[in-house]
Amino acid sequence: MALRELKVCLLGDTGVGKSSIVWRFVEDSFDPNINPTIGASFMTKTVQYQNELHKFLIWDTAGQERFRALAPMYYRGSAAAIIVYDITKEESFQTLKNWVKELRQHGPPNIVVAIAGNKCDLSDAREVPEKDAKDYADSIHAIFVESSAKNAININEVFIEISKRIPVVDAAGTSGKGFKLGRQASESRRTCC
Amino acid sequence: MALQGPEELGEQVEEPEELEDASSISPAEEITLPAGPGGDEEPPEEEALLLPWDRFSAWLHCICVVGFDLELGQAVEVIYPHHSKLSEKEKTSICYLSFPDSNSGCLGDTQFCFRFRQGSNRKSSLGCFLETTDRDAPPCLKREQGHYYGYVYFRQVRDKSLKRGYFQKSLVLISKLPYVTFFHSLLKIMAPEYFEKQEPCLEAACNDIDRWPTPHPGRILTLPIMGVVIKVRIPTCYDKPGTSQLVQSAQSDSLVSIVLPTIHEVDLFRCFYPVFFHIQMLWELVLLGEALVVMAPSPAESSDTVLALVSCISPLRYSSDFRPYFTIHDSEFKEYTTRTQAPPSVILGVTNPFFAKTLQHWPHIIRIGDMKQAGEMAKQMKVKKLKNLKTLDSKPGVYTAYKPYLNKDEEIIKQLQKGVQQKRPSAAQNAIIRRYFLELTQSFIIPLERYVASLMPLQKSISPWKNPPQLRPFIQQDFMKTLEKAGPQLTSRLKGDWIGLYRNFLKSPNFDGWFRNRRREMTQKLEALHLEALCEEDLQQRIQQHTEVESVDLVLKLKDKLTQAEKEQLPVRPGTLAKLKSHIEAVILALPDDLQGILHKPSTP
Repeated sequence: MALRELKVCLLGDTGVGKSSIVWRFVEDSFDPNINPTIGASFMTKTVQYQNELHKFLIWDTAGQERFRALAPMYYRGSAAAIIVYDITKEESFQTLKNWVKELRQHGPPNIVVAIAGNKCDLSDAREVPEKDAKDYADSIHAIFVESSAKNAININEVFIEISKRIPVVDAAGTSGKGFKLGRQASESRRTCC
Repeated sequence: MALQGPEELGEQVEEPEELEDASSISPAEEITLPAGPGGDEEPPEEEALLLPWDRFSAWLHCICVVGFDLELGQAVEVIYPHHSKLSEKEKTSICYLSFPDSNSGCLGDTQFCFRFRQGSNRKSSLGCFLETTDRDAPPCLKREQGHYYGYVYFRQVRDKSLKRGYFQKSLVLISKLPYVTFFHSLLKIMAPEYFEKQEPCLEAACNDIDRWPTPHPGRILTLPIMGVVIKVRIPTCYDKPGTSQLVQSAQSDSLVSIVLPTIHEVDLFRCFYPVFFHIQMLWELVLLGEALVVMAPSPAESSDTVLALVSCISPLRYSSDFRPYFTIHDSEFKEYTTRTQAPPSVILGVTNPFFAKTLQHWPHIIRIGDMKQAGEMAKQMKVKKLKNLKTLDSKPGVYTAYKPYLNKDEEIIKQLQKGVQQKRPSAAQNAIIRRYFLELTQSFIIPLERYVASLMPLQKSISPWKNPPQLRPFIQQDFMKTLEKAGPQLTSRLKGDWIGLYRNFLKSPNFDGWFRNRRREMTQKLEALHLEALCEEDLQQRIQQHTEVESVDLVLKLKDKLTQAEKEQLPVRPGTLAKLKSHIEAVILALPDDLQGILHKPSTP
């Protein structure tokens, strides 16, 4: 079975739950008192997708302003970016839009973008309506989920969606030689921002 | 390989796909992966106990930024992590060694390395732990004891906004590990980002490094750094020489992950190119620990050449001091350049023209021109007379009065020359030189290994109730006698005065270092065999025949043995130590209660 390394970065405001999402995905655990990330932290997880193994090399970046300038090191070469906001903080959704802009201007051309509205378990304190976020995500052809790292909602799902949107590489390395029917659906949905 | 998780399957994908040179590449099957389902991602058990910064310290002592202050001159601007300790003397050394000497231009980015004496004896809290990771490393890749390496990335660019008109800064990694290729690759990733983004970048990098697995030989290590993953494998002393390289998988993106085929090997062909007619003589000079100086136009060239020299006798470890880049400010400057005694057994790399005069009296001088201009075929060069070396503009070459012991191997020269004519890739030329040196060193060392192995007492002379037998002494005459029948002529077609070469080698620091190491290994082996023999004995029966005092004495002795075995990591068969522990326990239980109480108390250190 072919193995592909896929670099994935997480971007977004400080405190929105980027590290918690990664911990839930990789370790299936949750710690409410996680320390702020310094620079970025790195984890991997390998999942099977159809007849390929996808090894996600996950760079979970620091949301703090002083590390802002380091972001290009992490989205450079990334196959996908998960941009996270906190549904209870309107401001974090505005920051997300800035990240989308930056990725458009400086990110890899075919990067798959996923938008995750985290902390959906706190819907009582919601500031960002789901529909607004979903409409925005659709307008930029991004994957969209509302997630909760705490309650393990839509965490694996966002990575599965990413796997689906990753362009197929022909095993022989000669693109266009074979054509797999099974992939057409995801091919047509593939978008770039 | 036993059970594998999906992570390990991942590494198999990197099996060599294009085996161009089978001799220098080992298939991934030979690579020992850590046991258990965790694969390369799971930190080994012993690492779970490490404290913050312990992992960082296993790789680096610290990171320094050296800049230029108009009033102070070179100065260490930043030390990271901030709690790292460097003495004033060490800081001064780092300052001077991190910048090129005034006369070498070096515009743009330059990478080189230096080595300096550790000022104070600071003990690492990790000491014991690192020893065990070091044990499996080949001799030439073990952690330095009294020295540090400095790996430098120096940038010098015009900047009109600065008073000096230039931006000049070095990012320097200080480490005890001789992984030159690895650290230079690391700096290539780190330094350009640092110069742009300053301190948060260092913070992020150090934080990455502090989560790396420790540099354990034999494991494939995945080392994330600033958005890129570096994969390396540190060779072990059990690898077949020349077969320990990782191979880059075909489709991989250097922005995502980088596989380093080697952590320490320098490009021998490039380094020796200006003097390649003399490589065999240089091998002898290094083997014998002769005082040698490399005069080069830049620190990059001087450090590369010195490292190439030191590594040409691999797998032998070069035991004397060597300085890939040495300046007049070095604290050992006086010690090494004095004329009142014979030049010391060291290899120095220098760029300051001042040395041409200061070291005029040195017996062997290698002069390297600008390697970038070495595109043309080097002309047949005779060894130059030392008296011709006077001025700055002396021609590249080897200046010495040395007469090699071995006859010149014309084959290798022809082979390399042909390679140059046919524009053979540098990597292939490098592989040829590397194999040549390896075969030469092995031909030389095998008779010594064989003789030293014969100094081991016979297995039957090991008695559990006596002290382990001693190694027989190394007697030069006896060794020389073995050369008649089992000398290097068995493996090398080179003729010449091998006996003379051995005689001189036995007086050199390299022999001393090698023999000490072998003797320690063999003594430990004897201790281990003795311990195993002891464990096979019926202790119950023995204590029945002896007095209580003797039993107590036995318990104390066995406890000592156990402590020693654990501390020195004696190479005993698995299960031996557990057996010994149960023996001790059984003997204690056979004693009266009051004695049991005393003997069960933990021994005071």
